[in-house]
Amino acid sequence: MATATARTEAARTTPDGSLVSIRSVGKTYFTGSSAIPAVASASLEVARGEFVSLLGPSGCGKSTLLMMIAGLEKPTSGAIDLLGSPVLAPRRDIGIIFQDATLLPWKSALENVLFPIRILKLPLDRYMQRAHELLAMVGLAGFEHKKPGELSGGMRQRVAICRSLIHDPDILLMDEPFSALDAITRDQMNVALSEILETYKKTVIFVTHSIREAAFLSDRVVVMGGRPSGIILDMPMPFPRPRRFEVEETVEFTQVCRELRLTIEAAHGHAPSTHAAPAGASVIE
Amino acid sequence: MAATIGTETGAVLVNPAARNRAAAGLRSIVLPLGLALFVLVAWQTYVTVANIPSVILPSPISIAKYIVARYDILLIHAIPTTVESAVGFLLALALGVLLAILITYSEVAREALYPNLVFFQLIPKIALAPLFIIWLGIGSTSRIAFSVFIAFFPVVIATTAGFLSVDKGILRLCRSLTATEWQVFTSVRFPSALPHIFSGMKIAITLAIIGVIIGEFITAQAGLGYLIIFATARADTEVSMAAIVVLCICGLLLYGLVAVAEMIANRFYSADSR
Ligand SMILES: Nc1ncnc2c1ncn2[C@@H]1O[C@H](COP(=O)(O)OP(=O)(O)O)[C@@H](O)[C@H]1O
Ligand SMILES: [Mg+2]
Repeated sequence: MATATARTEAARTTPDGSLVSIRSVGKTYFTGSSAIPAVASASLEVARGEFVSLLGPSGCGKSTLLMMIAGLEKPTSGAIDLLGSPVLAPRRDIGIIFQDATLLPWKSALENVLFPIRILKLPLDRYMQRAHELLAMVGLAGFEHKKPGELSGGMRQRVAICRSLIHDPDILLMDEPFSALDAITRDQMNVALSEILETYKKTVIFVTHSIREAAFLSDRVVVMGGRPSGIILDMPMPFPRPRRFEVEETVEFTQVCRELRLTIEAAHGHAPSTHAAPAGASVIE
Repeated sequence: MAATIGTETGAVLVNPAARNRAAAGLRSIVLPLGLALFVLVAWQTYVTVANIPSVILPSPISIAKYIVARYDILLIHAIPTTVESAVGFLLALALGVLLAILITYSEVAREALYPNLVFFQLIPKIALAPLFIIWLGIGSTSRIAFSVFIAFFPVVIATTAGFLSVDKGILRLCRSLTATEWQVFTSVRFPSALPHIFSGMKIAITLAIIGVIIGEFITAQAGLGYLIIFATARADTEVSMAAIVVLCICGLLLYGLVAVAEMIANRFYSADSR
């Protein structure tokens, strides 16, 4: 645990190009008479171009933290800066992807991708080309005029990814975007996403409860846990890019996953007998 | 990339049951038409064989002959009924959608209006028709007002349900894109409520006609409702049946217009491919 904190400190002092700065942010939901503490206190810096995963079991406040970054929920304590200005409300320099594709069922894939352009009142003709490019990039060339009902779950989520990128936001926020998909499609989507990000460089904050997914995609994995929750581990992923499936077969990958799992288990009281090990982050490498 | 998505994009829908569906489509036309024809033939045969007097039950053929011969009179009465029904329906639609917007966007309006609307629906509203004559006179105003009164309710209920059934995720997406309430309404809420609105409209159009006919029963100098009452009072069953047939045709016409409007809307707002 001590090591984890040290790592968090180290991450916070990364060079001053940090795009997202989350400082002691907490959130308590008030519903009627009860107060539900969702996030106790979380601090995190994300540098430009970084891919950071928020990893943790269900209910540990990952979505809440992400929605606060998006300006869709207001923190009850602390503050969030994006590109140097405080996040007080939703803003245009963000692209969001949810667990469900949330496409308009009566619009074609292409029109769905262009939806943010219409809402933001940007010139449609200037983004048409980009919309086609994005759809081709995710393997949906030829499907531009299909409606969501004619696409598979994975294809719909690809359309949602294109939609989140169309207005060229600085940062992409993804809330368990692939957890509604079957395991095989999910693996394909992970590869597809890392390929997309090789072309369209973006800063990404990615929420997941899948350890392997987090490890495969991320530059850094941030583990959330505890009750009420906070950040309990901030760990860089040492695997080279571009990443392909083969990464998952390396011993190093397995060790990283193991450490992440032990950290989560320790925080939630299911730790095996060797549970003093999670701090063994330094043992790796 | 192509390899990884191959399995997915290859999943093109093939429907071997397409031919069966065409046969089922044909059957769905032939069966009801056949039954209707059977009933008409049975009716004609019964009236002829049993020698039923025309005052009690005129035969289908004699009704048809009357309609062909006196279409001018029937038309004169059909026009005010159809026009008033259409006006009543359009007003009910406008009022219904406006109330639905109010209920959707204002919590106060929702809490104040909704229980009252549901309570109102429990009243047998036809019983109130004579009051409309007292309040608004014997002109077309009272008939249209009564028609609106009984027709707007299904529009409010269906439209409100449509507005509130919008996917929460899409609303959140709109919020994240800093969409204005107007943008959300025009590009998300209204289109996704359209199927609901049309199902409300289909009920409303028949109720609007009923409202006008009841008004004409009570007081009118023209209209199919007036003709039915007038002819029945003179034991002229043939005329009254002819008027009912024309009324059915007018009703079908109005309903058809709503159905056509729905088909046009579906071209833009259906989840199915064109
Ligand atoms: N809108 C809300 N109102 C009340 N409680 C909420 C709301 N959203 C989330 N919570 C609660 O906050 C906690 C964290 O939820 P969430 O951020 O969705 O976790 P995660 O995404 O990690 O599964 C949970 O206990 C959840 O029940
Ligand atoms: Mg969540």
